[in-house]
Amino acid sequence: MNDVTSLERIQSWVESEGWAAILAALLLVVVGVSPARAESPEDFFRQNCASCHTIGGGRLVGPDLKNVGQRQEGEWLVGFILNPQARINSGDPYAQQLLDEARGVVMPTVPGISRARAEALLTMIAEQSAMERSEFAGSKISDRPFTEDDVRMGREIFIGRNRLAAGGPACASCHTVNGLGGLSGGRLGPDLTKVYERIGSRPALAAWLQGPATTTMRPVFAGHPLSDDEILSLVAFFENAARAADDDSTVPLLNFFLMGLLGTALALAILDGIWRRRFRAVRRPLVDAS
Amino acid sequence: MQVRSQISMVFHLDKCIGCHTCSIACKNIWTDRSGTEYMWWNNVETKPGTGYPAQWEDQDKFAGGWEKKGDEISLRSTDKKRIVPNIFHNPHMPSMDDYYEPWTYDYQNLFNAPEGPDQPTARPISRVTGEYIDIESGPNWDDDLGGSKIYAANDPNLKGLSPDQRQQLSAIERLVFFYFPRICNHCLNPACVASCPSGALYKRGEDGIVLIDQKRCRAWRSCVAACPYKKTYYNWHTGKSEKCILCFPRLETGQAPACFHSCVGRIRYLGVLLYDAEKIEHIAKLPDSELVEGHRSMILDPNDPEVIESAKKCGIHDAVIDSAQKSPVYKFVKEWKVALPPHIEYRTLPMLFYVPPMSPVMSQQNGDTVDHLNNGFFHDIESSRVPMKFLANLFGAGHESKVAYALKKQKAVRWYRRAMTVGDIDMATAHKMLQAADCSVEEAEALYRLTSLCTFDDRFVIPPAQREEAIEMMKDPHEHRQSVGFGFSSGSRRGL
Repeated sequence: MNDVTSLERIQSWVESEGWAAILAALLLVVVGVSPARAESPEDFFRQNCASCHTIGGGRLVGPDLKNVGQRQEGEWLVGFILNPQARINSGDPYAQQLLDEARGVVMPTVPGISRARAEALLTMIAEQSAMERSEFAGSKISDRPFTEDDVRMGREIFIGRNRLAAGGPACASCHTVNGLGGLSGGRLGPDLTKVYERIGSRPALAAWLQGPATTTMRPVFAGHPLSDDEILSLVAFFENAARAADDDSTVPLLNFFLMGLLGTALALAILDGIWRRRFRAVRRPLVDAS
Repeated sequence: MQVRSQISMVFHLDKCIGCHTCSIACKNIWTDRSGTEYMWWNNVETKPGTGYPAQWEDQDKFAGGWEKKGDEISLRSTDKKRIVPNIFHNPHMPSMDDYYEPWTYDYQNLFNAPEGPDQPTARPISRVTGEYIDIESGPNWDDDLGGSKIYAANDPNLKGLSPDQRQQLSAIERLVFFYFPRICNHCLNPACVASCPSGALYKRGEDGIVLIDQKRCRAWRSCVAACPYKKTYYNWHTGKSEKCILCFPRLETGQAPACFHSCVGRIRYLGVLLYDAEKIEHIAKLPDSELVEGHRSMILDPNDPEVIESAKKCGIHDAVIDSAQKSPVYKFVKEWKVALPPHIEYRTLPMLFYVPPMSPVMSQQNGDTVDHLNNGFFHDIESSRVPMKFLANLFGAGHESKVAYALKKQKAVRWYRRAMTVGDIDMATAHKMLQAADCSVEEAEALYRLTSLCTFDDRFVIPPAQREEAIEMMKDPHEHRQSVGFGFSSGSRRGL
């Protein structure tokens, strides 16, 4: 009943406004799904930058951006933000130094970045730098030593036995970590066994988990952020995994392959058993039996 | 009563000499094309023997025909439930080895071989691969009991015979065999038609000939598996299945099918039978022991005014009814009850009937002379050299009574004619035997004449084809009138 009335309303609206209404509706749809919708620089920073950078909170994967405007001139910074790889490739010594400090992790080109947005970001960073304590001064992750419980909890979250509170998918659907057992995790995303070592520190990894910035993970977790407790557990789990990791990560891969081979052989043997009385030939067995 | 007409056949096995002329005639006309080399729409088997393809009668292996489950019958091979999971691999298909790999000989070598110390030879070449092959079997590999230890010993009809009987079948001076020529039976309840997922097989309305529409066939080969007589074949060249067409182009022009026409022993009879199509389902579900009698009961008396009236109502032409009244098949099957359907237990209700063979006269060497044994020319039916049980497995669904009846009548006619022409048998005894065999003197005369003195026209009573009327069942004959002129007719090709 409700559907019918709303449908009728739309119909009457379309009839009264004609083609202009349809065009307007289409435009609305296009604008509605466009990623270039208006967004404050703070929100943009939180979603795209905060996983690697702080403002006054110390270095994560990328450098602390407090007073970045005093370290380099604005034009250089805008150029770097728009295309970090190109600036590094150009042989710029400062860009090379940044790369070395980040232990070879190249800053990705942020999706949806534009010159205007970069400039707005720099302005915002300058404002935040002037504050006593910036709202981007680093994650609030506790620095207490990890316990066995944290690691166990992190593992449960990773394999999805404990669901993420905000409804995000379990890590194991795309990632794996050595020693998960069974068929281990997914192979869509990178192996996370050494992620703690790669990212380098507890706050860096926590910041990453707070707002994963890669093009694949961002849309998946945009609406489902991880809670602080979950992040703590996961960091504990990753730290433990990196420490306990066997250097040879080909072992689980080999196991997987062997299990596949064994499974195939077993399946064929079972099928052969089920259809053992299947029709093969008639004349040949008669001749062979005589 | 739903009267239909069916062109039916009788093969008189007592007259078959196993010359294979029928097979050659058929091969030359229909199956000498590429892709059909291995097909024998007509073949002659030696019994006991495994036949072609090997052990086709063993439905535990080939799963052909219908199976009675409770009150219902279903296809043994691929019923509706099983056809989906098995559609790309029918599990009961005979392999090429079960038929045989067709071959020719390298005749050119006889002319072209370089000069050498030996005579050149013509080695066999496969007609499938074109490579030299060692011949391992053929379509009549077990002919005249060839390879008996393998082939005759594994005849599925030996089921139920005592070890003694089996042993005697191949014992010296008792050894016995007979011939079993086979074509498509053009059944009333054809499993091939029922199994086809494409609906390419059909039974022609006016004469009951079962055909495969070469344009609708999609090469699923369900018919090959479903036919318990293994009389549909897959043509690997056109990608379509083919079968005996009962030489319908010949029939429609009033000629007997090629295998009938060429039969040296004149064992083949052909004529129209009228039957009640309403009974098909009921009869196909009868228990094994009632099948032969039930099948016979479907065949209607073409002289019965009631039947004639119904037949006319059902659109059967007067000329066909007239032909049915003269049908030799009706006499053998219904009046005299000496012709029996092969393997009626497959429940396809075959419309080709066989007069079971009398066993050959037994003789024994006495010094320089060969004498007949004590029981004379016309031995006791019960102790026949071909065990009754064996014939019953072939023609009586395992039940001996119908086969015994047919043999007794044949024997009585022999005694009667012996008394008549030679006179060394007392006529009174002959009459007594006829009476015991449920046979009047007139019937004996008629049976004798149609068996021994039959002319071409006695054997083949072909109804005038009513194609111009029959075609109206399928399409409007005026459909293309004034719309087409010269054109091309297309042959069947692989694919859609």
